[in-house]
Amino acid sequence: MSTHEVRLVWRDGREAALSVAEGETVIDASERETLGLPYGCLYGACGTCTGRLLEGDLVHIERPRGLKPHHRRDGYVLLCVAEPRSDCRIEVGAEIQADLVPNPWK
Amino acid sequence: MSTDEPSDTTEKHGHEHHEVEGPGYPTPAAMRTESEREKTAFVMGLRVGMDVDEPDFVGVVDVDPDSATYGDLVDTVEMPNKGDELHHFGWNTCSSSCHAEGLTRDHLIVPGQRSSRIHIVDASDPRNPEIETVIEPEEVFEHDLSAPHTVHCVPEGKIVISMLGNADGELPGGFLQLDQEDFSIDGHWEVDSGDMEMNYDYWYQPRHGVMLSTEWAAPETYYPGFDLDDVEAGKYGDSIHVWDWETKEHQQTLTFGEEGLIPLEIRMPHNPEETEGYVGAALSSNILRFWEADDGRWEWEKVIDVEDREHPDWDMPVPGLVTDILLSLDDQYMFFSNWLHGDVRMYDISDTGNPRLVDQCWVGGNFAERQSVGGHDVRGAPQMLQLSRDGRRLYWTTSLFSSWDNQFYPEIGEEGSLMMKADVYPSEGRMELDEEFVVDFGDAPGGPARAHEIRWPGGDCTSDVWQ
Repeated sequence: MSTHEVRLVWRDGREAALSVAEGETVIDASERETLGLPYGCLYGACGTCTGRLLEGDLVHIERPRGLKPHHRRDGYVLLCVAEPRSDCRIEVGAEIQADLVPNPWK
Repeated sequence: MSTDEPSDTTEKHGHEHHEVEGPGYPTPAAMRTESEREKTAFVMGLRVGMDVDEPDFVGVVDVDPDSATYGDLVDTVEMPNKGDELHHFGWNTCSSSCHAEGLTRDHLIVPGQRSSRIHIVDASDPRNPEIETVIEPEEVFEHDLSAPHTVHCVPEGKIVISMLGNADGELPGGFLQLDQEDFSIDGHWEVDSGDMEMNYDYWYQPRHGVMLSTEWAAPETYYPGFDLDDVEAGKYGDSIHVWDWETKEHQQTLTFGEEGLIPLEIRMPHNPEETEGYVGAALSSNILRFWEADDGRWEWEKVIDVEDREHPDWDMPVPGLVTDILLSLDDQYMFFSNWLHGDVRMYDISDTGNPRLVDQCWVGGNFAERQSVGGHDVRGAPQMLQLSRDGRRLYWTTSLFSSWDNQFYPEIGEEGSLMMKADVYPSEGRMELDEEFVVDFGDAPGGPARAHEIRWPGGDCTSDVWQ
């Protein structure tokens, strides 16, 4: 079975290597390795697991409903429904989700 | 008798005029006057949207001032999975089943707002609750529902949960009915949902055969955060729905438009004779009153308008964001929170159509001068409210919803939120912040947590309905 090497990068400078098997989402793999990535609904609606793809090929296996088109253009991905198709680098951590929707009045 | 004990017998609460034993209290006044002071609080604690690799929990807070651990988070019942977003919860039974034999208020129904997982927690020992069973998300999705919110037990041995989305997190939502005995899923409660698509909270008045439900948005819309573009696109609610409680059919839609954007928490008086109530429109920051007219149709009016406020650091005026509202058990006072401003308000509602502001407590948020309590920075602002049964203590937590917290009070995501309290003096129409009482969920075992809905063993102002 082919695996892809995913480099997870947190904004505080922490990094981790994660091998993601074929047919496995990034969240499934990160839970297997107890890396503690945030997630919520696990079907692409809620955005809690939002990451940002820095390098590589990552595909959504279900429609990422929690992202708007401009989020996807900016590289945001929902890791609970995302499978790598190549080695990747992904920015992760709870604060990535907060990029999606800033305070609309401020 | 301590009301921490699960109530189930006639003798215990002066229920002798009924033939049949049951849980709860025969009248709202009985609950207000015959129950003792709350000693334990159950508080939803959650880690969703935080870099804390731990599950959500049911927090047990000691609120007995005679206890050595008063004001402490004394136990946490961790959920078996992560990512649930525990939010609202409810009881297996309440005063609405007062006449039902063999029922005991001893199980909490604890849904995960994001996971759609529903936990059944045995709370017969309030200081040591335990998870009894779990309804997995797949079982919920089979009924094309998701995003469980408000839990009420209802007469005839059922539990009904408002569900905000379909199995894909889109519209429409609906209502999921559970069996009170074995907590299995019966299916949808509703028979005909008319033009109702969005769902959020609901209240019912069984004596009048009516139920009313409110609107947030589709889970896929509100889950990721609050986007004004979604409001402009009509993706947020502005209506409430009137249902026939008996036939479970949708009867009428009350559409508020700009006056009632995002109508969330809905409360009717505890007096079962009443055919009116209030809903807090979060975004419009108005309180709307609704009532049944002589012809059986329901009407509405705006009774409170919270003015937006200018803030030097904000480009646009800041709405109050009325996120929770409750009525005291004697139906004399209404309390609501302005989560973006930072205050809790207390209104005299003895003249229901003309609420009178009697007091206001400012702490945290964007406008309160007071930004710390008992040496703890106030992260967030008054949000989810709970009042003691005797109406003398108002408690609240300061987190709203993980992704919305991250937008408006990101420090909650780093350090967790708080539980606080004000002492209420009903006979004087005022309240006062208790500067000694603060539960900092930043210090929760396993790491910081957000704190959300609060309930007492024995029932409370937002759990119990009377037939």
